[in-house]
Parts: sequence; structure tokens; C-alpha cells
Amino acid sequence: MSLARGTFNQSYAQDMAILRTKTQWVTLLAFLAFLFTCPLFIGETWLTLMIIIGISVISVQGLNILTGYCGQISLGHTGFMLAGGYTSAILCDKLGFSFWAALPCAALVAGLVGLIFGLPSLRVKGFYLIMATVAAYFIIAWVIFQSYGGAFGLTAPRPEILGMVLKSNASYFYVVMIIACLATLAAANIVRSRVGRAFIAIRDNDLAAEVMGINIWAYKLLAFFIGCVFAGVAGSLQAHYCGWASIEIFPFLDSIWYLGMLIVGGMGSISGAILGAVSLRLLDYLVTIAAPMLAAAFPAIAPQAAASLSLIMRGLVIIVFLIFEPRGLAHLWERIKAYFRLWPFSH
Amino acid sequence: MIKIKLVVTALLMVTLVVGVLPVFAGCGTTPPAGNLTPLLIGGSFGVTGAYPEDCLAVLAAFQDYAKYVNDNHKLASWVGAPTFPSDIELTVVSMDDGGTNTAWAISNYATLKAQGLLVQRISGSAIANALKATLAADQVGATSQASGSYLLSAAAVNRTIFMNYPIYTDQGASIAEWFVANWVAGGNTTPPNVSYLTNNTFGRTLIPPATSALQNYLISLGYNITGTHILPAAPITADYDAALTACKNENANLTLGAMLCSESEPCMVEAKALGMGPDSGYPGWSYNITFGLCSPSHLNVFLRDKGATCGNGLVVAGSYPSWDDTCAGVTFCKLLQTTYRPSAQITHVMYMHGLVEAMIQVEAMRLAMINTGKTADQLTSADVLTQGFRMITGLDTGGIVPTTITYDSAGDVEGAGTVRLDQAQGGADLVLGLSYPLRHLYP
Repeated sequence: MSLARGTFNQSYAQDMAILRTKTQWVTLLAFLAFLFTCPLFIGETWLTLMIIIGISVISVQGLNILTGYCGQISLGHTGFMLAGGYTSAILCDKLGFSFWAALPCAALVAGLVGLIFGLPSLRVKGFYLIMATVAAYFIIAWVIFQSYGGAFGLTAPRPEILGMVLKSNASYFYVVMIIACLATLAAANIVRSRVGRAFIAIRDNDLAAEVMGINIWAYKLLAFFIGCVFAGVAGSLQAHYCGWASIEIFPFLDSIWYLGMLIVGGMGSISGAILGAVSLRLLDYLVTIAAPMLAAAFPAIAPQAAASLSLIMRGLVIIVFLIFEPRGLAHLWERIKAYFRLWPFSH
Repeated sequence: MIKIKLVVTALLMVTLVVGVLPVFAGCGTTPPAGNLTPLLIGGSFGVTGAYPEDCLAVLAAFQDYAKYVNDNHKLASWVGAPTFPSDIELTVVSMDDGGTNTAWAISNYATLKAQGLLVQRISGSAIANALKATLAADQVGATSQASGSYLLSAAAVNRTIFMNYPIYTDQGASIAEWFVANWVAGGNTTPPNVSYLTNNTFGRTLIPPATSALQNYLISLGYNITGTHILPAAPITADYDAALTACKNENANLTLGAMLCSESEPCMVEAKALGMGPDSGYPGWSYNITFGLCSPSHLNVFLRDKGATCGNGLVVAGSYPSWDDTCAGVTFCKLLQTTYRPSAQITHVMYMHGLVEAMIQVEAMRLAMINTGKTADQLTSADVLTQGFRMITGLDTGGIVPTTITYDSAGDVEGAGTVRLDQAQGGADLVLGLSYPLRHLYP
């Protein structure tokens, strides 16, 4: 982390701190104050968007730990969300659990499922691991389809606090944002711990990491477990928001978009996961506004434009970032800050 | 390098700035002129996502119908159509839900309700399942593009989503009845075999569990149920071959399923390559099979895209009429298009569906005003639901729906009273029979 001019670390604690200066603390607190007062002045549409962003942030943070920090590329992340969502719905709908008890169970189940499908990572990597994770999604979906709820899905009721059902978007917004903040904090602490350093070593060169004494087997599985725990939490939140857990609300394509969010935001960066989720979700929303305008302006291609604009824009943004800014928005932001840190004496 | 940075930075800024545009864009409506009382119809439409062509056609029908009612103050062009108050102006409101995006649909529901929309609409089964409890709790009636039996799982008082064609299980039962009658008449003494054959997107929701009423009904008709096979939403040769070959190995005589897109219709070319197919008159068929599709499949969509390759054995239940039909409903659709969009006419069959949905919404509000004695601006969504939707009796759609539409407070939300069957023969649409009753088969 680059420090402001004149700020030096004089202890290990200062060196390890996530927030080092008063400016950073004030900025964070101001942001949190703005975030948690949002429902007072934004409409339902924006609340929905922010809830979706919050859920995406949780999911992408998990994927960031697995892929960004440990280098295990996963295209089955939505499958683990599906496992979490269904577990939560089964516990609430069939066994009468409360949401608050079902959420950690969903996270744990998703993590255990991730452990199982993380086993191929011990023998394969790269493209072959990607295919194994793709298979994971379809296997999980098939198992769920054949058994619990089947194609009809399961009801996933909204959470309750002291007998009050959190029916409104505003109340659910607080639930999602609190959990998203906790997830981000957890992810930040994981990656700057011994475990995080092991993940980074495996990502950079797994052979060298093994030679150094890092247990590749254990840490890869741990990465899958942690990443899928985050996915399970996100899946549970998504299912309870929609009120219904079904394969249809956890489509396979979302796995690709979550990876895209990581690419756009910046792999291996906690802030990158947030930036990626925010930017691609905002892009989605932009498309819902632009597509009808485009359809009205060009009626001859209206259906095709409406259907494909979202896919085109997402794909285009991902390609642009892969070519021109492969380290994502987080790195771009660091470069902008570095540029202005010495401005106008940049050279 | 600097230019590249500028381009990337500019792209990001545009994305962020335009993301703020919705604050100003909004989806408000223009207030009507003069002394007209505004009344909103419409709801959430999937104009982006997987099925925009269908939903754009539905939205266009809503818009054209609203204009017609505003100009003519009656519900339809045929003689005897009810009149509509001339001091009310209908306005169509629409928000995009991507067809299957439940989060957007939940948000749209709240936004549109806050705008004063007294009804809602459902774009697909995922959204129906997500919203049905909320609609019931808030006592809001909704028209639906989806027709699954999940809409009938709640108690009668909580059924607030209204269809205009029978659920797929009832439609499947009609196909099965028609086929077994022909099977017996053809001198066959062995029980016919039936297999489920459907695509991934919707088909998964249409495969009934082993203990379902449809399953039991098929067995009671004398069928052997031999298997379930999934076809891909887009034709991939190997997958088609696997599913079709499995049907052949099981000696399936009839398949039941649903495919929304003609691309995922059982590929007749593949069936022919495998030496199997319906009795289409092609020489050399070694194996005869009839493919039966339930709604939301529409035969004229398949005929438009596949033509003669549909053969003579593709049977579809719950289709709307073809555009060549001379019924009053189709004539009305053509009138609307020539009047309000002469240079951009829509030929998609879902335009008819949109017209029917719009008619149901308007009729519900008309009846609510009559039954409650309230004016349009005094109506509540509960009034429209209990004194409107549930009071609709004999709503004539000019033959688009095979019977008039009737709902009631005892839980009948299917609307249509019979199942229409169409068969593709020689690339044309042949109406087989219109009097297959609903069997009310709910899984």
C-alpha cells in the first residue's frame, strides 16, 4: 500500500494495518455512513441494484481468494452458490430453520462441496481445472434437479428479526451490506495472513512453493473451501432475496460473469473485486436503459439488439480490460493515485 | 500509451456517469390531457434477456390496444364488445426484467406499484415463483406469460396470477388423449409408449415427478412411460442424436414436452437421419414417432422457422391461431397493427398473447369499477383483484383463446376452458380439435 507523503511505518503493526492513516479511516467511515444511509434517499430500483451488487461482491471476493490469490481458476462458482442457496432453502422451508441459522449452514455445505470439487486441482491445473469446475456446476445442478425441490424449486423466506420479517428492499439491503462488509474484511484479513501468503506463493509458482515447504494439497483445498464458503453465503442471500431457490436463478453464465468482474476489477486485489462487481452490475443496468432506446431507434433489429446488447457490452469490456488494463480497475486506480501524488512533478 | 490510458479512463467515466442517468431518466408517465383520468396497464416485460422478441411483441400489443381503447372506448372491434368509459385514458407502463431476472422483477414490482399500477404481469416462470407470495400478500392481480402448475399450488384465495391458456399438464393430457384415440383406432393392441422430451430452459420445469397427477393420468390412459430426455436449447447434433436414439431404443411412440424456441424443437432432420420420424409421407421411415409439445410452444413459430421439416407429426397444444386465420381476434390484431404501426408490423405470435393479456387487464379494471362503484382513481389493487379479475366471465378474445375466458374466486386462474390442438401437416397449421377438456392435473 502506498502511503501519503511524509507517512512512514515505524512498527510491524503499522506495516500490516489495512487502514494506516487518519485520511483512510475518515474516508472509510464517510463511505460507510453514506452506504448505510442510502435507503433514505434512493429509490427501489437503486436499492435492488445495490443489493445485487452486495451479493456479487461477496461472491467475487470468494472467487478472488480462489482464483486471484491462489491461482485456481474456477468457472463453476455459481454452482457453489446454488449449493448454498438450496441448502438454505431446504433448511428454512423443510426443516423450519431461521435464516440466521441456515446462512452459516449454507456456507459450510457450499464449502464442503467446494472441497470435493477442489480435489481435481491436486492433479490438474489451468484449462483442465477450468473444465473440472465447469463440470462441477452441472453435476451440482443435476443432483439438485433430481432430488431436492427438483425443477420447481423451493421457497426461501425472507429473514426475520424479533418476529419482524425483513420484507422490504431497504431492510434486506442492510442485511446484504453488513454481510458484504464483513466478507470483505474477512477476505482482506485472510490474504494478509500466513494462509494468504501461501496462496500467493502457490499462484506465482506452485513448484517453488512446494519446495519451500508449503503443503500444496492442503492449501489448494483450503482455497476452494474458503472461496466456496463465500459463494454459499452469496447464494443463500440471493435465494432469500428472490424468495425462491431454483436452478434458474443461478445460471451457469453467471460463473463467467463473476470471473469477468474479477478481470475488470483486478485479480489479486480486495478492492478490485468490489470495483469489478460494481462496474459490471452498473453496466447491466445501463443496458436495461439503453436497449429499449436502441430498439426504438432501430426497430428492424430491435429484438436482436435487446437480446444481445448486454452480452456484447460485457464481453467488450472484459476484452478491453484484458488487452489494455489486464491488472484491472484496482491497478488503474493505484496508477492514477501515484500520478497525482507527485503532480505536477510526475517525472 | 497515454491515449490508451485516456480511452480506458474515458470508458470507465462514461460507464459510471451513465449509471447515474437513471436518476433522471425514470419511468414516469405523461399525464393525460384535459379531464381524462389516467389508468395504468402493463407491468414488467422481459425486453432484454433471452426472449426479447416475444416480450417486445407483447409490449407492442399492450401499446396498440391501449391506443385503440382510448380512441374507440370499447374493448374490441367486433360487435357486442363491451364499452369502456370515455373519461379514462389508458397508459402502458413497462419496466425491463430481463425475462428471467427475478431481482429486477421484484424491484420493478415495487416501483410500478408505487407509480399507481393496480395490476402486474409475469414474464416467466422464475419470476412467477418469486413474486406469487408477494402478489398474494399484497392482493395484487397479475396476468401471466407463464402457465405452469406452480401457479396452482397455493390455496385458492392466494392465487392472484391469471393465465389465458391451460397449464402444461392439462395440455399434455389432451395430446395424450388424442394420440391414444388414434392409436386404438389404428388397430394397435399394445400399450403405447410415451417419453418426455424437452429442452433445458423450460423443459426441466415441465417434467412431472413420478407421483404427479399427469403421470398417473397417462398410466390410466394405458401408456407406458419409458423415459425422460433433455434436448439442448440450441441444436447440437450429438445431443439430439443421443436423446432421439434413446427414445427409439425405448420404443417411444409419443413424446411430450415443451420447447419455447423452434431451434430446440425435436430436429426432424436429425430424426430422419436416424431413420425415425412422424408419419410425414417421407419414404423409408423405419420408425414412427409423434412429437407433442405443450405451451409455451407455439406451432406457428415452428412453422415459420422450420416449415415443411416439421413433418406431419408435430402436435402442439395451446397454440394461438396462425396469422392466416379468419377469426375475429386475428382480424382485430391486424386492424391494430395497420392502424397504429403500419410500417413496422409485428408477425410474432406473442403479439396475440399481448393483446389477450391487455384485454384481461382492462376488463378486470372495467369490472372492478362497475362492481365497486368506484371511479378509476379510487380503485385499489384489491378491488381489481377481487371484483375485477375474479369476476371475469366469458371474456371473448375473438378466437385467439379457444374458449372465452372465465376466472372465479374458487381458484380457477387458467382462463381457457378447453385445450386447442394443432398439428403441422405439409408445412401448414392444421387445427385438430378444440374440445379437449381440462383435466386439472396438478403435480
